[in-house]
Amino acid sequence: MVGEELTEQETALYDRQIRVWGADAQRRLSKSHILVYGMKGTITEFCKNIVLAGVGSLTLVDDRAVTEEALSANFLMPPDENVCSGKTLAELCRDSLNEFNPMVRVSVEKGDLTSFGAEFFDKFDVVVLSFCSLATKKLINERCRKLSKRVSFYTVDCRDCCGEIFVDLQKYNYAMKRQDETTECELQYPSFQEAISVPWRSLPRKVSKLYFAMRVIERFEEAEGRKPGEICIEDLPAVLKLKKEICEAQSLNESHIPNALLERLVMGAREFPPVCAIIGGILGQEVIKAISGKGDPLKNFFFFDSMDGKGIIEDISDPNPKG
Amino acid sequence: MAESTVHQSRSRDLDKLLLRPGNLVAPTFEPGAQLRDDLQEYARILVVGAGGLGCELLKDLALSGFKNLEVIDMDRIEVTNLNRQFLFRLEDVGKPKAEVAAKRVMERVSGVNIVPHFCRIEDKDIDFYKDFIIIVLGLDSVEARSYINAVACGFLEYDSDDKPIEETVKPMVDGGTEGFKGHARVIIPGSTPCFECIIWLFPPQVKFPLCTLAETPRTAAHCIEYAHLIKWDEVHSGKTFDPDDPEHMKWVYTEAVKRAELFGIQGVTYSLTQGVVKNIIPAIASTNAIVSAVCTLETLKLVSGCSKTLSNYLTCVEFFLILLYFGISSCPSGCGNHNCLLQYTIHVTESDGIMLTIEMYNGMEGLHIKVTEFVKDKDCLACGPGVLLELDTSVTLQKFIDMLEEHPKLLLSKASVRYRAMNLYMQAPQVLEEMTRSNLNLPLFELMGKVPKDIVHVTGTTSRDDKKTSCLRKLRLVFKGADAVTDQDMAVGA
Repeated sequence: MVGEELTEQETALYDRQIRVWGADAQRRLSKSHILVYGMKGTITEFCKNIVLAGVGSLTLVDDRAVTEEALSANFLMPPDENVCSGKTLAELCRDSLNEFNPMVRVSVEKGDLTSFGAEFFDKFDVVVLSFCSLATKKLINERCRKLSKRVSFYTVDCRDCCGEIFVDLQKYNYAMKRQDETTECELQYPSFQEAISVPWRSLPRKVSKLYFAMRVIERFEEAEGRKPGEICIEDLPAVLKLKKEICEAQSLNESHIPNALLERLVMGAREFPPVCAIIGGILGQEVIKAISGKGDPLKNFFFFDSMDGKGIIEDISDPNPKG
Repeated sequence: MAESTVHQSRSRDLDKLLLRPGNLVAPTFEPGAQLRDDLQEYARILVVGAGGLGCELLKDLALSGFKNLEVIDMDRIEVTNLNRQFLFRLEDVGKPKAEVAAKRVMERVSGVNIVPHFCRIEDKDIDFYKDFIIIVLGLDSVEARSYINAVACGFLEYDSDDKPIEETVKPMVDGGTEGFKGHARVIIPGSTPCFECIIWLFPPQVKFPLCTLAETPRTAAHCIEYAHLIKWDEVHSGKTFDPDDPEHMKWVYTEAVKRAELFGIQGVTYSLTQGVVKNIIPAIASTNAIVSAVCTLETLKLVSGCSKTLSNYLTCVEFFLILLYFGISSCPSGCGNHNCLLQYTIHVTESDGIMLTIEMYNGMEGLHIKVTEFVKDKDCLACGPGVLLELDTSVTLQKFIDMLEEHPKLLLSKASVRYRAMNLYMQAPQVLEEMTRSNLNLPLFELMGKVPKDIVHVTGTTSRDDKKTSCLRKLRLVFKGADAVTDQDMAVGA
C-alpha cells in the first residue's frame, strides 16, 4: 500500500476505478491522509466513498456517544444497541469502515479539534468538517492555511432536505482538458472567512437562496451560543428578525431569503438519508479530484435542494483579490 | 400544528416531507401521518440489479423508511465489484449478489424486509412484476432496461378517451452510471416517454466495420478486436472463446500486440484488452451513490405524490473526462472574471417531434445537474396502446404465432402468448409447453372467450443491432366480423 507501485491486490480490487482515473491517480490516492470531523449521515457517506476509493488513511473525530437518532440515519451503525454501548460515534464508524476496505487505515482521534495545533493538521492532505459552528470553521480553516504545505479544506452541512459544501484549495494548479487541448490553470480560492465576507449586494442576482439562508442560520446559532443544529421551530421568530437585520445591513432585499426556506432549515436540523448520499457522493468526488490532481474542482460553494432537485455551484469570492 | 399531535416516526426527516403541504405538491397530495405510515408499511418496491446501483438503492430505500423491498440479480460477486458494491466483502466472492445484499441491509437497518431473487429478469412470470407499486432499475445494459420497460408498460391500458387508466400505470425509476457520468429518470407509462420512446438517446453501440479490423486498423481497440473476432477463429476453429479464461485472454492480448506492432499502433495493454473484449464499464462508488440517492428521492416523491416529480429526467454529469454529449465549452453569457451561476434555457421546437427544455447550472464545467423534459411517442411499441392486429375469427393460435414472426413491427420469434391471467401458449418450461400445446390448433377468438377485441401480451425473441434479445409486446387484437356475432352477447373485457 505504501510502496510506489500498486500491489497485485490493489490492481485487482481497484480495476474498475483505475479505468476511470488511471493508475497514477490511484497511487496518489493511496498515499493521501484525510481528517474528518462530525460523524453524521453525510460524512459517513463521504467516508464510505473515499474508503472504497482507497485513500491511504482516514482519521475520524467525534467523541459523542451513540444515540438512537444517529442509528436510524447512519448506515455504518448496526441497530443492535449492545454492540454500540460504550463506544463513541467515531469508534463505531471506524469499525464499519474498516470492513469496506481493509487496505485503508481508519483510526479515531479523541479530543477537542479546536485545541489541536498546527503539527496535528500538518499530518493531513484533506480536512473535512461537518456540523461545525461558524467559529470552528474559521479557526480550523485558518490553521490549515498557515501550514507550508497545502491542506485541502472542506465544510459540509445538510439540513432538512438541503445540503451545502464549501471548498478551499488555496492556490490550486491543474491541467484543464477541453476537447483535445490541455491548458494549465490556476485557481485562487478564498478562505471561508473571506468568502462569507463578500458583500451580499455585490453577488450576482441569481445566487442560490440557500447560501443566504445558511448564513442566517449560522449567525443565529453563533449569536445564541448554540451547538450546530441546536435549533427548533420556537426559534423561527428570532431567526426571521435576524434575517431582517442582516438584510438591512447588507442592503439586500429580504425576498432573497424566503421565510419558508428558513422555516425548513430551522425545523430540519436532522439529515435526510438520500440527501446525505448525494452530498456525500459529490464531496467524495471533489476530494478525489483534489488528491489526484485530475478534473475540474468545484469552486467554491455547492448547494442542493431536493425539493427541486437542482444542484448549483456558486463562486463566492472577492472579484478583486489582494496579492 | 400537525406535528405536535402526531406520533413521530423514527425517520423524522420523512415527516418533514409528508406532514406539511409544500409549494410543489401535486393536487392529489394530502399531508398527514396516515400517508406516511401507509408508505412504510405497504409499499412494495422492486430493485432490479444488486450491483453498483442496486447496493446503494437498497440502503437508501431502507433508510428512507420503506419496509418491503425485493431485489433481483442473476450475477455472483466478483473481486472487481468490491470497489463500489460496498455490501460485499472479499469472502463473499462467488455468492449471489441479490442474497448477500439483502442480508447485509437487513442487518443494518431494523424493520426492513428484503426478499432476494437470484435469477434472470426474464425468468420471472409477468405477474411477479405486477405486485410492486414502483420498479427501480439499477441495470447496466440497454437490453435489460428495454425488457423491464416493456413489462411495466405492458400493464398499461387506455380507456375509450385514449387516456391511461390510472390503476394500470406502473412507474419506473431508472438509474445508470459510467465513470463520473450518470443519469436518473422517472418513467410514468402513458404520461412521460418510456424507455423505448427515447431509446435514440443512447449513443450507438460501438461496432467496428469488419474491413477496418481486417485491413486498416488505426487504434489499439481495432487490433484487439481483430485478434478476438477474426484471428481466434482462424487459429482455434471450433473452440469457443471464453472471456473468463485467462489463457484465452492472454492469447488475444499477445496477438493484438503483434498486430499493433505491424501497423505501428500504440496503446495495446492487457487491461485494455480485457476492457474491449468484455465490454467493461469503468465504475466508481461516488457516482453510484449520487444517482441511487436521486432515484430514491424520486421514488419517495412518486409514492407519496408529495412533490412535483422532477421534470422526469435528472442528469448528474461530471466533466472529469472529455464529454462529447453536450459540447458546451464556455460560459455563453460571457461574464468576465468570476465563475458565476449561469442559467440559460434552450427550446427545441416541436417540428422536430420532441420538446426539450434544458436548464443548466454550470460553474466552469465542474459539476452540474440539469433537468430535461422529453415527450412520449404515441406510437411507441412499449407504452403506446399496442400494435393493432386485425384477425379473422378463424385464425388459430399457431397461425397467430407464425404471423408475429413476419409482422414488420414485431419480427418476434418463438412467441409465447398470454391473455388476461391465462397462458394461452408457453414455449418454455417444458411442462407448460406440453400443457398448452393443444391450444395451438384452436381459434384464438375462441381461446379469448369470443371477445370482439382485447389486449394480449406476447413474449419472444427479436433482433436488435444484430443481437438476439428477449422481447415483450402488447398487442391490440380486433376480430373481423366479431361485433356482428357477439352483439347480443355480454362483452368480456375492455
